[in-house]
Amino acid sequence: MELEEKHERPYLNVITWTIPVLLTGLIVMMILFTPAFQDGAFKVKSWFVGSVVSEAKSLDGIEKLELKSQRNIQSIENKLDRLKPVKPYIVVNTTENRFSLRNVNGDTIKTGVCSSGKNEILIAGNKRIVFKTPKGMFDVKNKQEDRPWIKPDWAFIEDGLPIPSARSASRVEVGSLGDYALSIGNGYMLHGTLYQRFLGLPVTHGCVRIGDKDLELIYHTLSKGSKVFIY
Amino acid sequence: MKNKFTFWFITIILSIILIYTLVNTILMPVLTRNPLPKATIQNTDEKEKPGKSDKNSPKDDTISDLPVSNNSKEAMMKLFELRKKELLLHSRLSLANEDSMYLVLDLVNNTATLEMKGVSLHECRILDSKISNSIKMYKNDDLLNWMAEPFMVKHVDATIPKISFVEKVAPKDSIEANKAEVEPAPAKLGDVYMVMDFERNLRLVIKQVEKPDAEGKKLITALKRKYQGIEIRRSLQSLLKFNREPAMPQIDLVLPKSDATILYKALPLHLKVILKM
Repeated sequence: MELEEKHERPYLNVITWTIPVLLTGLIVMMILFTPAFQDGAFKVKSWFVGSVVSEAKSLDGIEKLELKSQRNIQSIENKLDRLKPVKPYIVVNTTENRFSLRNVNGDTIKTGVCSSGKNEILIAGNKRIVFKTPKGMFDVKNKQEDRPWIKPDWAFIEDGLPIPSARSASRVEVGSLGDYALSIGNGYMLHGTLYQRFLGLPVTHGCVRIGDKDLELIYHTLSKGSKVFIY
Repeated sequence: MKNKFTFWFITIILSIILIYTLVNTILMPVLTRNPLPKATIQNTDEKEKPGKSDKNSPKDDTISDLPVSNNSKEAMMKLFELRKKELLLHSRLSLANEDSMYLVLDLVNNTATLEMKGVSLHECRILDSKISNSIKMYKNDDLLNWMAEPFMVKHVDATIPKISFVEKVAPKDSIEANKAEVEPAPAKLGDVYMVMDFERNLRLVIKQVEKPDAEGKKLITALKRKYQGIEIRRSLQSLLKFNREPAMPQIDLVLPKSDATILYKALPLHLKVILKM
């Protein structure tokens, strides 16, 4: 028995040394690999060398550069101002389903709820019809009061109805776009709705639906060419 | 005796590995590599007026181009701040000329603004931010050159989808269509954690201030682990090649969940960001 123990001990001792040493080494290496540790080294470097600042130069040269910089800043600010809308505009937030009507200075005239695209794909045979509100900057192409809705093919497909001919009277639906409609191109519009209770929810086929009172204000504030920002 | 030898042998080997790792992953990149690579400058003014030479381009000269004589650290810092403002405005102008949304991160006033054509579409408060020391310690041309152009995203990972579509098969008839109609409900907001890697070695991490739920926690942990794994692989590769890349400057931002979601969903795939620091 005693002999056996003597043979096992050296082996056990190596294990008891190496395992903790290897583990410690591994843990230290893992810590070194973290970006936070490396970034900490920059902090240590800054204790010794301070911030890396450009070398001081002649005051004359600095003043000239300062003047040049100030002139450039003014010029760029003017250019940026020229890019801003020259008419009142509307901003639509499709994530929260809210809009903000603003004047030329960017001040808010009115905020409120709206409904945007439901982000749905309707599969009809080989066709995949996407219902979503496009994002970006658009112009008001035209404005119309009491505009009837000319139902596109997808409206029939969605209702499980046969698609009528292009000029069929069954395509015309009066009242569903509300009192006012502002077209922003490609068939997309800002318009009213019969489903006021769904305002604030993403339920549309891509257009932006707005409540009656808000829409009236928007209609009378925006004109043809006004910008519509959708994000 | 044999044990003693083994112990010292292993200890010396491990110490060598440790010193090698320390030198290669920490000392070398910090002491020798500039973490802020220079931007490739595209002159937008030239784009606007092709024939005209751009006398007032903000990137014409660097601060250190001036002749050395009297020391004036204060004046230099003032000029540095002016040049920084000028470059930021120049970046904003170049992005405002494009037909895409972009993000302006103002780490001085703690605001994140989604802009398009110079118009602020959505502005939110940055509740907390952390900027890497590798950015903070540079107050010279290196920083100006790094920030001189907007940062373009290379890769984005997030715990929420950019856009989630519901697929619906068209009904066969009107009866089936009526049956399939569902009362719409507000969409549930998932917990937000996103990592954006930009050109010029910048990483932006956006987190929500709210505590995530159990499902969100899982997704966030998985994403964090993924990036830890990437970092370890990157380090191991550089260890083997003895060619460590420069440290990656990182900016961590904490936003309200709703704002983080809005920004993520609104931002274009080829997102460009302007940093104001």
